Amino acid sequence: MTDEMSIENYLAQGGVLTNPSNVPPRYRAELMKMMATFVDSELAGAAGFADIINEGPGIKARIAAAKIVLEKSDSAEKVLRIMGDFGADTERYADHHPWTARLERNADIGQSRTKHDMRLAVFNYPLEGWADAVMMNLLMGRAVALQLEELSHVSYQPLAEAFRAILPVEAHHAELAEEGLMALVEAQGTQALQELADYWWPRVAASFGQEASEKFEGLKAMGLRRTQNAELKARWQQDAGAILGKTGLKPAA
Amino acid sequence: MARFHDLEVTDVRKTIRDAVVVTLKPANGAAEEFDFTQGQYLTFRRDFDGEELRRSYSICAGKDEGILQVGIKRVDGGAFSTWANTELQAGDTLQAMAPMGSFFTALDRATEKNYLGFAGGSGITPVLSILKTTLAAEPNASFTLVYANKGVNTIMFREELEDLKNLYMGRFNVIHVLESDAQEIDLFTGLVTEEKCAQLFKHWIDIQSVDTAFICGPEPMMLGIASALRTAGLGDSQIKFELFASAQPGRAKRKATATDAASSANQTKAAITLDGATQTVEMGKDMTLLDAALENAMDAPYACKAGVCSTCRCKVLEGEVEMVANHALEDYEVEKGYVLSCQAYPVTDNVVVDYDQ
Repeated sequence: MTDEMSIENYLAQGGVLTNPSNVPPRYRAELMKMMATFVDSELAGAAGFADIINEGPGIKARIAAAKIVLEKSDSAEKVLRIMGDFGADTERYADHHPWTARLERNADIGQSRTKHDMRLAVFNYPLEGWADAVMMNLLMGRAVALQLEELSHVSYQPLAEAFRAILPVEAHHAELAEEGLMALVEAQGTQALQELADYWWPRVAASFGQEASEKFEGLKAMGLRRTQNAELKARWQQDAGAILGKTGLKPAA
Repeated sequence: MARFHDLEVTDVRKTIRDAVVVTLKPANGAAEEFDFTQGQYLTFRRDFDGEELRRSYSICAGKDEGILQVGIKRVDGGAFSTWANTELQAGDTLQAMAPMGSFFTALDRATEKNYLGFAGGSGITPVLSILKTTLAAEPNASFTLVYANKGVNTIMFREELEDLKNLYMGRFNVIHVLESDAQEIDLFTGLVTEEKCAQLFKHWIDIQSVDTAFICGPEPMMLGIASALRTAGLGDSQIKFELFASAQPGRAKRKATATDAASSANQTKAAITLDGATQTVEMGKDMTLLDAALENAMDAPYACKAGVCSTCRCKVLEGEVEMVANHALEDYEVEKGYVLSCQAYPVTDNVVVDYDQ
């Protein structure tokens, strides 16, 4: 039991960390960024969706939308609590920022974040009505499920466990969106919906980050990532493309 | 934010030559804060020669025992553990944060689960808490403990484990693996490695029936055991880890003091280290360190930019900076030179900061 091993070496070999007291500084920074990205995206997503609840056609749709807002807030809290273990002031964090703030519909921001929070770029675009929200939720919901599957293997065990608990909840949101989309296609045909798919497809695709990220190897050595962005994106394209196909829609060219 | 509470030391008992079990009683009505879950740990703080040290130790008591106890093994050169083993006595007051950690699974009386625990040396403390709690709370559960130690005389809680075996006859089983003391069965001598585990799974432990495994020990042991468990078919969600790195620094170094005084010029030369590379940048004193790093294409970490999340923490090695807001760092971190770079403006003409410390 006497052999010594550095934390870096331990992580590179697949080791797991379990509390803030022994995470190295750069690991801490990447982990905090990862958590902040998730929390900000969930809070911004919930805030944006809250405005849509009343536009839902019928009570069932409104219940589904309200449930999504509730559960996204709950998921954000689960991860924010872990940020709190590292010293973040969780109450202040949740309220320090206007999560409903959005940019212009045609703002061309690619993968960049705004200066004020870490939400994924896609959450900066405004939702325009019920059908738009359903389409965004479907495409992004599938992306989130794939990203969470990847992140549920991170080497910080409390976070991996949180993501494992969150994964089925978020996957269900995409299922609700799929049902919603089916209903919309039946009611109004595909033409207007295809325009929405064309709008959201490239923006959700951008949320997978740069195809060849220089940081990937470093993150992999810390046990924070395992699958390349490009591969995750390809999986999503196939997965989301198939769901659109079922309704007679197609991915943006 | 972390908050410390006073705890009265009601008993200090030696369990082996260089380890003590400390019994604590929350003072000033903080009992509710210390209603722990099995497997959690307490973080203590204490001043050593004017410098605050924080150390975490696992609770070794079972949930149903109605007491709060931690085990503290003396580490060579460890200021806190040495002090606890030589000077701490009943009647003293310790300060600790409320229990933390997620090294546990939910309990359910109705289930019939098989648990497997691995502990290396003082890694027994949280595992002991888990096994005592689980065996009491789940009448149909079984628990097998693989306990690695150097020799017979370094086994913490040896007698208590024997008593538990008698109390939970047929449900609780201990396999002692000793590094240097020979045992009747060869397999029980040596280190608990991946190969050793594979052999144990072949002859002694029905790994297929195991629902959850708990591992607490030094890094190489954790890696080996986890690897063997995965090979045997356990998934990530069935393996619970607790690592208290052996590499906790003994004592933190003092913060470097300012080497030059503030001057009237509004410019600062900042040497910023990130990921092992240092860039020296000219920046205005009306700019934060974080923005200076970002403007110079450094990938400095940040999230909230409002002084609440602490993602952007870095350490000031030379010079002086001023934080306009700080809702995340505690006094002892600030004393060591840590700042939130999103809130930190340079005061002196030269500053040296490091994101890697």
